[in-house]
Amino acid sequence: MTTAAMTGAPGGLLLEARGLVKSLGGKRVVDGVDLTCAPGEVLGLLGPNGAGKTTALRMCYGFLRPDAGRIAIAGHDLAADGDRARRSLGVCTQDDTYDSDFSVRGNLVQTARYFRPRIPDLGRRIDDLLRRFGLDEFAGHKPETLSGGYRRRLMIARAVVHSPRLVFLDEPTTGLDPQARVAVWELISGLRAAGMGVVLTTHYMDEAERLSDRLLVLQNGTVRAAGAAKAVLGDVVGDHVVVLPRDDPRAPQVAAWLGARGTAASPVLANWHIALDGPGLAAFVSAFPDLRYEVRAPTLDDLFTTLAAEERR
Amino acid sequence: MNPYAPAVAWQSRAILGRHVRVHLRNWYIAALPPICEPLIMLLAFGVGLGSQIERIVWRGADVTYLSYLAPGILAYTAFMSAFFQALFAAYIRMHFQKSWEGQLTTQVRLEHVVWGEALWAATLGTSYAVLVCVVLAGFSLAGSLPLHWEWLPLALPLLFLAALAFASVGLYFTAILPSMDHMSLPFFLVIMPLGFASSTYFPLPDNAILAAVVQVNPLHHLAEGLRCLLLTGTPTYHLPAAAALCTLMLAALIPLDMRLLRKRVFGDG
Repeated sequence: MTTAAMTGAPGGLLLEARGLVKSLGGKRVVDGVDLTCAPGEVLGLLGPNGAGKTTALRMCYGFLRPDAGRIAIAGHDLAADGDRARRSLGVCTQDDTYDSDFSVRGNLVQTARYFRPRIPDLGRRIDDLLRRFGLDEFAGHKPETLSGGYRRRLMIARAVVHSPRLVFLDEPTTGLDPQARVAVWELISGLRAAGMGVVLTTHYMDEAERLSDRLLVLQNGTVRAAGAAKAVLGDVVGDHVVVLPRDDPRAPQVAAWLGARGTAASPVLANWHIALDGPGLAAFVSAFPDLRYEVRAPTLDDLFTTLAAEERR
Repeated sequence: MNPYAPAVAWQSRAILGRHVRVHLRNWYIAALPPICEPLIMLLAFGVGLGSQIERIVWRGADVTYLSYLAPGILAYTAFMSAFFQALFAAYIRMHFQKSWEGQLTTQVRLEHVVWGEALWAATLGTSYAVLVCVVLAGFSLAGSLPLHWEWLPLALPLLFLAALAFASVGLYFTAILPSMDHMSLPFFLVIMPLGFASSTYFPLPDNAILAAVVQVNPLHHLAEGLRCLLLTGTPTYHLPAAAALCTLMLAALIPLDMRLLRKRVFGDG
């Protein structure tokens, strides 16, 4: 069986969003964004606050109507065939949106009632989810009595209770301690291993790097870069990052040199971070042969710093 | 899209079912207010104040104040319960519990949430009215409240329709009120004046302006229609008038609720 036949979508894509445009409050928040996600793939959606990540995600799972563009979920057009498209997707929102009138188990049962066709053998499906997500011992508890990590587990379990083929996770680990984050990462890896498509937004760069097969960087509502983490870093940040103390006596000269090249350093605490490509680093070394500084490979944290610096400019 | 079609969609029933399940878990607590409130009202006004008034003239006939009040309380319970449910409880679910947002990430859409909330508020209002009937039946059995109970099956669908209409009013305020602190405004500025200008508690004074105004008050027609039906066993024009006004309210307010709540919930519109 071909991938396309398995997913029921042309090209085997579980998410195919083309030319998304959305304005909110008179401001264009998303402007011509394309998003795709294949089975067993994790797409990481990155960008500073206000970049349009959550708005793009909300359009893809049917919470917001795009002003322009089209979205297909597992081959079903979200606008024309909304019920089938929504049956194929699951959502874990940024906020805890479980139903606080129900227990942990009751939440899964009640969420399942919002889907047709009905989930076959629901009781067994929920027992399985409770066990897989480590929630079985809290099945009768109210969600608000759980720790933050277990609440997020419940939110992800709710998102997949109807066995969707594509799941959207909007900042699933925000506010969690490291141990709880690792537990959520394992759950997400499990979803991918099961062949599900995952679209993830996060502010944690290690999370994006560790989980995502592909990154898509949004800035001011448009796609700034897309591809594997290394390629995205190369496109946006460059190949090297020079770390220079801000109080270095020659800092003004460095700033002038960067200004002449049409770029600038990003201030990070007591240092400047200067993103440079290979020829740029060679020119920097020639221009400041006696300067003491550190050169390292760029990380996704540098990506955010660079984007923020670009926006300030 | 037709805003009325989702009223019969399975998603709206799923939302209604959710509210019923939550309510039935605490049915013994939930049933106390609809039993106690009319009981207190009937004892305080019907029996207490009624003993001072003894008899009042209604449509040229002498009736006890308790008899006059009882059908009005029935109408009052249905509309007030539905209004409060669609205002306070729906606002809490939308704003604080965020359970609407959770529902909207499934196959449920906003129009289903709106209809689910309205149908639930109407169901609750009508079931509370049924409980009031149980209280009234107690007074009837005690011989102090002769009513034409055979007309009750006609009254209940009308009470449901009125409750549904006032649920749509409650949802309108849920959509536009900026915070919980503002919730007393629709109560004091809209619901209380409507209630008092409806002949629920006392016959309206003989005033031409007031008489004209109450013709567009569905509560007046509902209270007066139920009174004619249950006290004299006579269906009057008040019943279709109440039904028509309530239908008109629903037709106008449900699409407006959807538009305003779309803006409120999604920040879009």
